[in-house]
Order: sequence, then structure tokens, then C-alpha cells
Amino acid sequence: MNGSKGEEEEESVRELLRDRFRLSSISIARSEALRGGMEVSDPVLACIGDLSFKYAEKLAVDLELFARHAGRKSVNMEDVILSTHRNEQLSVSLRSISNTIKVKEPQSEKKRKKPPRKEDKSVPSTIHIDDL
Amino acid sequence: MEDEPTFDPDLIHAIFKNVWTRRAQERARNEAEDVIEGEAAAGPSKKNRSTSANANGLKLSCELLRLFVTEAIQRAATIADAEGSTKIEATHLERILPQLLLDF
Repeated sequence: MNGSKGEEEEESVRELLRDRFRLSSISIARSEALRGGMEVSDPVLACIGDLSFKYAEKLAVDLELFARHAGRKSVNMEDVILSTHRNEQLSVSLRSISNTIKVKEPQSEKKRKKPPRKEDKSVPSTIHIDDL
Repeated sequence: MEDEPTFDPDLIHAIFKNVWTRRAQERARNEAEDVIEGEAAAGPSKKNRSTSANANGLKLSCELLRLFVTEAIQRAATIADAEGSTKIEATHLERILPQLLLDF
């Protein structure tokens, strides 16, 4: 089995993704604090980056389970809303965001700006790291 | 207001895919063990095919993750504000963390 080598690669991909995710979450946190006229200390930013990445991975597992339970292979917006069912307010705000996404959808469909991205299912992974 | 940072759906997709592939590999391994232990299973099952996500699902996931981060900051900012500080420190985050994790 070439499993172990594949897993090592998965692991290094995971670390790369984690770092990219942390950077995004730190910039979100910074700008959110700035809107309230606040500064954020570095340990707090690091902590929030870590927490949100762990949350994202847990979310991935939940979404997969929900989609499979519904007999689907693809995760949709209902699964995401279902994942917040314990917090009614969160569900409500996600529901309203999902409605705005739905409303926007037909327009972006007409533009057809980037349709191939979802169709290249033959490529198993969306990440290509050339310089490794 | 328009250049507010958010998560890139492609990045979230890659993270989800990474988790799903790992889980699919685990399932495949467990199944292989079952086959060795018991009778041969009826061919490679479809269950092991990895999950995917549609574009809207990803967008909504990005929003959910963004909400997580902004909630953390806003709640910690409230505590910092109450203490008369303009910088969010680790102690402020500690105060709001338990409830935040229960809410998400």
C-alpha cells in the first residue's frame, strides 16, 4: 500500500491549508476589531486563528455526515444550516444569508465567469503545490 | 466596506476536501480489515467515494466561519471595553470563550 506516503502528503497539505486559513482569519479578526476601534493582541489573534481552523475541520466532518445521511454526495446550504441547529439565532442569520446567496445566484449564472471550477471533478484535489 | 476580508471559498473547499479524503482513506482501511477478517465484501462499495460540496454550500460555510471569528472579536471587545481597555488581551478572550464554543 502506498497509503503512508499519501498520508504524509495529506498532512503537509493540511499544514499549508491551516496556515493559509489562519492568515485569513487573522485579517478578518483585525478588521472586525478595527471597526469597533479596538486593537487585538497577538496571542488572541493566534488563538482565534487556531480555534476557527479546528471549527472548520469539525464543520467538514459534520457536513459530510449530514449530506450522506440525506443520501447525497455533495454538501449544500441546507447541511450548513443544519449544522447550526443548536443555536437558533445562528440558524436564522445563516438562513437569511443563504437567501441572499440564492438571490445572487441567477445573475452570476448568467455571467458564467468561472464555470469550469466545479466541473473538473476528475482532478481529485484542488490544491497544486508546484514548488515542493 | 466592500473590501472587508472574508474566507476564500476555494480555500475552504480545499480544507474540507482534505478532511474528507482522510476520512475516506480511514474508511477504506477499516473495510480492508473487515474483508481480511470475514468473508469477501461485495466489491468496492460506493460509500468510500469522497464527498464534495456545491458552490453555495461553500459560500455559506465561509460566512459561518466568518461569523465565528467576528463573534469572538465582538464579544471579547465588549469585555475589554467594560474594563476600559482598547486592546483585546488574552484574558478577555478567556472570559468569552466557553460561551462562544457552546454557541458554535
